[in-house]
Amino acid sequence: MEKRQDIALGLIFVLVGLAAAWMASRYSGASGTYPMTLGLILTFLGGTVAARAVRAGQDKARQLVAAPSKFITTAVIAAVYVAAVIPFGFYTASLMLMLVLPVALGFRQWIYAVIVAVIFIAVVYLVFSVLLEKPLPREAIPPLLGLGG
Amino acid sequence: MDFYLNALGSVLSAAPLLAMVGATLLGVFIGALPGLNPVMAIALLLPLTYSMDPLVALGMVAGIYNGSMYGGAIPAILLRIPGTPASIATTFDGFPMADKGEAAKALKIACWSSAVGGIASALALMTMGPLLARVTLFFGPAEYFWIAIFGMASVGVMVGSDPVKGVMAAVLGLLIGTIGIDNLSGQARFTFDQTWLLGGLDLIVVLVGLYALPPVLQLAEKCDLKGLSADQLKLTNVPFAPGEKRGLIPTWLRSSGIGIGVGILPGAGGNIAAFLSYNAARNASDDPDSFGRGNPQGVAAAECGNNADNAASMIPALSLGIPGNVVAALVLSALTIHGLQPGPQLFHQNPVLVGGFMMEMLITSILIFALGGAVATRVFAQFQRLPGVLLVPSILILMCVGVYVINGRPVDLWVMLAAGIAGYFLEKVNVPLAPIILGMILGPMAEQSVRRALLISRGDATELLTRPISALLAVMTILVIVWPVAKAMRRRKRQRQS
Repeated sequence: MEKRQDIALGLIFVLVGLAAAWMASRYSGASGTYPMTLGLILTFLGGTVAARAVRAGQDKARQLVAAPSKFITTAVIAAVYVAAVIPFGFYTASLMLMLVLPVALGFRQWIYAVIVAVIFIAVVYLVFSVLLEKPLPREAIPPLLGLGG
Repeated sequence: MDFYLNALGSVLSAAPLLAMVGATLLGVFIGALPGLNPVMAIALLLPLTYSMDPLVALGMVAGIYNGSMYGGAIPAILLRIPGTPASIATTFDGFPMADKGEAAKALKIACWSSAVGGIASALALMTMGPLLARVTLFFGPAEYFWIAIFGMASVGVMVGSDPVKGVMAAVLGLLIGTIGIDNLSGQARFTFDQTWLLGGLDLIVVLVGLYALPPVLQLAEKCDLKGLSADQLKLTNVPFAPGEKRGLIPTWLRSSGIGIGVGILPGAGGNIAAFLSYNAARNASDDPDSFGRGNPQGVAAAECGNNADNAASMIPALSLGIPGNVVAALVLSALTIHGLQPGPQLFHQNPVLVGGFMMEMLITSILIFALGGAVATRVFAQFQRLPGVLLVPSILILMCVGVYVINGRPVDLWVMLAAGIAGYFLEKVNVPLAPIILGMILGPMAEQSVRRALLISRGDATELLTRPISALLAVMTILVIVWPVAKAMRRRKRQRQS
């Protein structure tokens, strides 16, 4: 397990290093020398990690993801949240995240989740929009309901 | 002395004082919540400090750093769950004390020891920092190049269990640091015709992703649906017994010395300081067998050691521009955000700011005495009743708002997400994350210094090795890389022989 992971890791770094060195070789003058050297060093180090893993006798188990379903659920919902921030607005997307993610992870106390979500979003609104006056993505739904965005 | 007197006036004004008090309380709260740590908190805070006065921003960083290092002791003592990695050693005697009904006493000792360690460390920073900065006035581009390389090599080799992977991470950070327009030639590098990449990847965006997202994903994997019960968090106030404080003084002195020494070394962190201090206290004890069974000296040593590391880790960061740990790297980022160039010139160009930050490290350590007491501890411990699954979306939202406000670009959110997922897997395969960040910070300094040195010497590369200080730094860099490799080879040889 660990052996295969280290071989894969080493090869990924070899590829990144080679790609960087090749791209840097096309840059003019001294501006290409430094990244090209770094690319080649990265290739060498990646190769060392992979070669060392190939030569290693024992193969210890190393868990890459402790709970794959929870990991994937969280990662996917986080990606959907990032994608929703611009079209829906920051606070609408955030409120949806506060309600959906705990439930997707198995939390069933709806009222508790709603109370925490409302208090948390209110605090974030007070701190970032009222106190610090930070511009955040505009809300899409409240203007449709005539509430202003 | 004038250096500090000038800074004192600025630090003791209303805004920095308020920031320090608020941030120290916030730090205790963050440390008390397992899953949150000072690095994540400071990374989330930094984007918000753009519009703040630098002394207010740095006061908040100092408060969160010192407060959270003490706050980590709260779950370590009450639940045997270290709030931060630096409080692992606190669990050894803290939890057995709580088990015997002495939780409040253990927390009180942790509070006092954290404050003592923090104060000793801040005093070390205030005395040693300016001295080191004076020496570095003799440095030229060749020396700066080697300082950057030495910093990265030592952090790459010392952080994590595999030196090769550590150096590999540092080189990756250096490479990421080259993305964007080259300042000296105007050449766009690794931009893939994307205009948003012309300025390079924003350090804070990558940093928030790398450091804040992996713990969030791990918190989601743990899937804590309940939090703690009120009974588990019941505490009563207990005064020190006569002579008890005096008995802790030798431990505080020893642990402060160890913590400061570890803090100055790049790559070593608060957890190493705490372990070394704990071991030293046990070795010095007349009753070493009582350690691990609820000996207050064990709690005092671990907490004093990990807080004594805090300000000391800023010594190489402020005087040389080499961040010894990630929090120091964040402080350097905070300085960069405010248009200041970390390194020895900082002491001469912005004495009020540097002196002010040092005083803020001292004041926030003193604040732990006042704010970390029984009331705050009891209040913050109650937040552990919140289920972990509710913390996951809350932290994600804070990450996104923090990253978005930097440039107002949605693409930064995707960069943060990608960096976070990459960071999660890199950590799992034993690739340390700190060298990546240090590479991003020190990379431009290394590249520009080496190119300037070569311009000055008209292309003569021996200039990098013939000046006495640069030659010394080059030898130290080689030793830092070769030493662990030689040690590993010797160990392997011994294993083969036996």
